[in-house]
Amino acid sequence: MFFDHSPRGATVVPSDVYVRIEHESDIVTARQKGRELANAIGFSSTDQTIIALAISEIARNIVSYAQRGGLTFSLVEGGGRHGLTIVARDDGPGIADIELAMRDGYSSARSLGVGLPGAKRVMDEFDLTSIVGQGTTVTMTKWLRR
Amino acid sequence: MADRDPGGAAPALMREMRIDAGDIERRSKAVGLEAADLPRLAAIKDLVVRRAGDYTNLFFEHLANLEDARAFIASSALVDRARKLKNAHLLEMASGDYGARYVEQRLELALLYANAGLEPRAFLGAFHRLLNAMGIDIVKQFERAPLEGFEHFMSLKKVAFFDIGAIVDVLIFERERIIRQQHEAIRELSTPVLQIRERLLLLPIIGVIDTHRARLVTEGLLQAIRSNRAKVVVMDVTGVATIDSKVANHLLQTVTAARLMGAHVIVTGLSADVAQSLVALGIELSKVNTVGDLQGGLEEAEQLLGYRVHPVDVPGASPVRGA
Amino acid sequence: MVVPILKQGDVLIASIQSTLSDQDLVHLRDDLAGRIGTLRIRGVVIDVTALDVLDSFATRTLLAIAHTAKLRGANTVVVGIQPDVAFAMVQLGLTLDGVATALDLEEGLDVLRSLTTRSHGRAE
Repeated sequence: MFFDHSPRGATVVPSDVYVRIEHESDIVTARQKGRELANAIGFSSTDQTIIALAISEIARNIVSYAQRGGLTFSLVEGGGRHGLTIVARDDGPGIADIELAMRDGYSSARSLGVGLPGAKRVMDEFDLTSIVGQGTTVTMTKWLRR
Repeated sequence: MADRDPGGAAPALMREMRIDAGDIERRSKAVGLEAADLPRLAAIKDLVVRRAGDYTNLFFEHLANLEDARAFIASSALVDRARKLKNAHLLEMASGDYGARYVEQRLELALLYANAGLEPRAFLGAFHRLLNAMGIDIVKQFERAPLEGFEHFMSLKKVAFFDIGAIVDVLIFERERIIRQQHEAIRELSTPVLQIRERLLLLPIIGVIDTHRARLVTEGLLQAIRSNRAKVVVMDVTGVATIDSKVANHLLQTVTAARLMGAHVIVTGLSADVAQSLVALGIELSKVNTVGDLQGGLEEAEQLLGYRVHPVDVPGASPVRGA
Repeated sequence: MVVPILKQGDVLIASIQSTLSDQDLVHLRDDLAGRIGTLRIRGVVIDVTALDVLDSFATRTLLAIAHTAKLRGANTVVVGIQPDVAFAMVQLGLTLDGVATALDLEEGLDVLRSLTTRSHGRAE
């Protein structure tokens, strides 16, 4: 390429960072990686914590319900904004009743089965696909506030 | 080589504006700069370099005659620095290398313009003058083949518009920065957290509460709880425009978060009507300590903190508050 | 990573350092349960100042610790939840309902004192 495309001093986020999730100690790794990347992208301290929290919940789901899986982090752009997308994939048993799993327990007392609905609440975009017997994929994105 | 600005302001700005490799690629694409232009630029490079000094003079002469650039021209230190940078720009213009270093150079000068308050239209006018002069010189160089000369000029114009794009973006960005700062200041003023006694905070919420504002209020309150070591917060919602279930949930979240930090929240100003309708909507108000009016809330807060009211012996005097 | 637990009078103080895995939390829970049982403990302070995230598992574990402590006559206070962490928890829908909280260790010990006074009817 004839253009010099190595900006000196610009923040370079490595594309697609992958963290394998197999043991519960990987949850902490995923959380820290997520926070690190969120920081590099420029998310506020509060948002970094929120992202770390959502990652923790999703990663924990993988450890609890699937044999193994992994998280992929990517810097994304859209509509002039930058954001962080996290794709969590596992090859676990899948979710039979997605609607039930995603039921929002916000106003009810049993607020601690938060995992999925909680993560959905705090991220800007959230998508879940699951095939029983094959696995689950959660894709979530948080955009940088201008 | 252009002398680098000592503060590193340009690289920082580049990060802030998110001008990375991808963005530079987009900018190049926007002006249609492509491989075919390079040999043409190489062909006129000597000309541009030779005449760089003259072009720089033209640029600043033009500005000197403009009302809009008066403040800028008046500062000789600024103009001197700008001249040096402009000259360096011109030397690089036909170099064929339009990557990060090139862009950073443009940003440095643009920042200078922005800080000097140079009007975009003045800048554009001077730039146009400059471009015209370059065009005339190029046509002269290709006297025998005017169409070729035109094509060479077109290639240079692409680079020129690449430059203009970057510089104008900086002017806009810096102007918006000021607006952003003002907005922040207004937001902070509109959700003040007041320490009215040791360990006691008053949070009067006024106006419309949307998700964004609710978040600001909560963040501000939590920081204040930490820095003031507050044990009790009186959150007065008398001035909140409408309290529907969404707003109520926001307020509930604020109360819950404060509680996680060990602060007890008393909500005041919730009329009986509103309270009833919220309960009907299923909002759990039972966990929230609500007191009718602000006065009552403050008294309860003081009691919680161990303040007591002593009547003074002098007849007709109002009670004195003491710890 | 083991969480250090100090004994101050009849109060246990557990200070959590930054990176805490699920296993560490479970160990803490069991550790505290053991000590509350064998020593005459009236209160437990869990200091989470250094934690940058409190997720559902951590929250559940803290609640479990408080519950176990209560069964053995001890009160629990969680101290040092940072503004960011509190905000994130609430956004996600996590609460520590039923567990006392305080700003820091000093406040936490204060809260324990008042809780103990109330339940035992005499000054500590």
